Amino acid sequence: MSLDVEEVRRIAELARLRLSAAEEARFASQLSEIVDYIDQLSAFSAGAAPSDDSEPEGTDDANDVPAEGRPLLDDFLDNAPASLDRFLLVPQVKATPGGAE
Amino acid sequence: MTAEALAGAVRSGERTAVGTVEQAFARIDQVDASVGAFLEVWRDQAVERAADIDRRRDSGESLGPLAGVPTALKDNLSLAGHELNCGSRILSGYRAPYTAGAVERLLAADAVPVGRVNMDEFAMGSSCENSRLADTRNPWDLDMAPGGSSGGSAAAVAATEAPLALGSDTGGSIRQPAAFCGVVGVKPTYGRVSRYGLVAFASSLDQIGPLTRNVRDAALALGAIAGPDPRDSTCSELPVEDYLESIEDGIEGLTVGTIREVRASALDEDAAEGYRQALDALETAGARLAEVSIPLIDAAVATYYVLANSEASANLARFDGSRYGHRSASARSLQRMYTDSRSEGFGSEVKRRIILGTFALSSGYYDAYYGRAARIAGAMRQQFAEAFEAVDLLVTPTCPSGAFARGERVDDPLAMYLSDVFTTPPSLVGIPGVSVPCGLDGRGLPLGLQILAPPFADAMALRAARAVELTIGFECNPEAIR
Repeated sequence: MSLDVEEVRRIAELARLRLSAAEEARFASQLSEIVDYIDQLSAFSAGAAPSDDSEPEGTDDANDVPAEGRPLLDDFLDNAPASLDRFLLVPQVKATPGGAE
Repeated sequence: MTAEALAGAVRSGERTAVGTVEQAFARIDQVDASVGAFLEVWRDQAVERAADIDRRRDSGESLGPLAGVPTALKDNLSLAGHELNCGSRILSGYRAPYTAGAVERLLAADAVPVGRVNMDEFAMGSSCENSRLADTRNPWDLDMAPGGSSGGSAAAVAATEAPLALGSDTGGSIRQPAAFCGVVGVKPTYGRVSRYGLVAFASSLDQIGPLTRNVRDAALALGAIAGPDPRDSTCSELPVEDYLESIEDGIEGLTVGTIREVRASALDEDAAEGYRQALDALETAGARLAEVSIPLIDAAVATYYVLANSEASANLARFDGSRYGHRSASARSLQRMYTDSRSEGFGSEVKRRIILGTFALSSGYYDAYYGRAARIAGAMRQQFAEAFEAVDLLVTPTCPSGAFARGERVDDPLAMYLSDVFTTPPSLVGIPGVSVPCGLDGRGLPLGLQILAPPFADAMALRAARAVELTIGFECNPEAIR
């Protein structure tokens, strides 16, 4: 199947990406070719095989317990683009009046 | 010198760890301006760590199996306190707050990390050209791609800048660059090496493994990094074999399977000839060849690009400018910050793959793409298991050709993806794969043979790779940086 520019833009929005007009046109053409190639999967039969979700031998569902001895908060905040006290700072959720959104 | 010999000499006191890492830095200074493997060298920290190793040896302490071995780390492996970018601008300035499980094991084995090396952005690529940070060249011919995504790891080892590098492999990202650069590359069994501290691309496929100049070093390094880790729930608790113990046992009496669906027509002429010679070498070494059929291997590339990119679209959702890395300066609202940071921070290939993965998971398409691909991967796993009832090992060429030219495929993503035709099937079914050099093509560029074994039979794959290495007598001596 082919993906047109509108479809590419819609999927990009779902993925929180904005593309330039040139990127949209290029991606529509490249992704159409790739999806065409992927469409050959319909010619293959998986028979009665289960979906591939097998875990490696020797693994077990680990108990979900808090790890100890990992004082990562400072390191975490050191990596933050902006922080205040012990919190991440981000732009306000609602756009400023007159803003682009 | 091999990693094994270097470590032995450091342990015996014949040479110092400090001298060993200084020699590596001298080589990096000499050739890396041409090769472009390293994004950053950790000179002071490496010398400090090496000095500590020397002090411990002088005080009578016994040292680890990789004592003093200069080691390059792919730019997606965490080493606490060091910058980590995944070849991307979206992680600009990010410093790893902790050390990856595999890297912890390297350090415990007394290896010395000397720097981080280039990669395709978020490990998405087969030429290293998708890196947003540096250009890496193939040491055999600087106009050629080193392969990818662990192109920096392969180039650094081929150019003798480091005897050992760690890479990661999702659909061939260790094996393909190893083949292009004439070095040994190991993708271990899924679950053999902890991925804790590896930046995730496709979690059901990612594995960390070594790239080295010979098979014994690969076995030594895999033994050092393999083993359980409660911080990665997919990491197996099965005991780790001593991969060196049986490595010289040869392959006399083993049955090695070729795959009917790996057709000569899929290979360029030189790769086909190299493959024939590698099969001859296996027979010379005493293996019996047999043909098996794995029909679904023809579906592997398409299956891989659906599953890997679906997972990537979810894994890469975390890079949104809020917690680390690049945040767009223009963002005035939260939604805008996400979109602007991601659009500015990610390169074209990453965007293309996120969009493809989002498409495959989106309502209305999920069953036709993700669901179907997951079922085909499950069936492919069964077909491989049946093949391994008839043969001990399987072999394929690592790639359909030797290295391609830089720039040749950057505008044709599908052509780039198709270079993974032989490396994606083992990734999809979780089995170990070793790429071992098997000769040169007509241009004087290396070719690789891929050796596959059943899950957790990594030792047998390495043993066969060693037999091929000894029979063929390949020398990694790239002319371009001699």
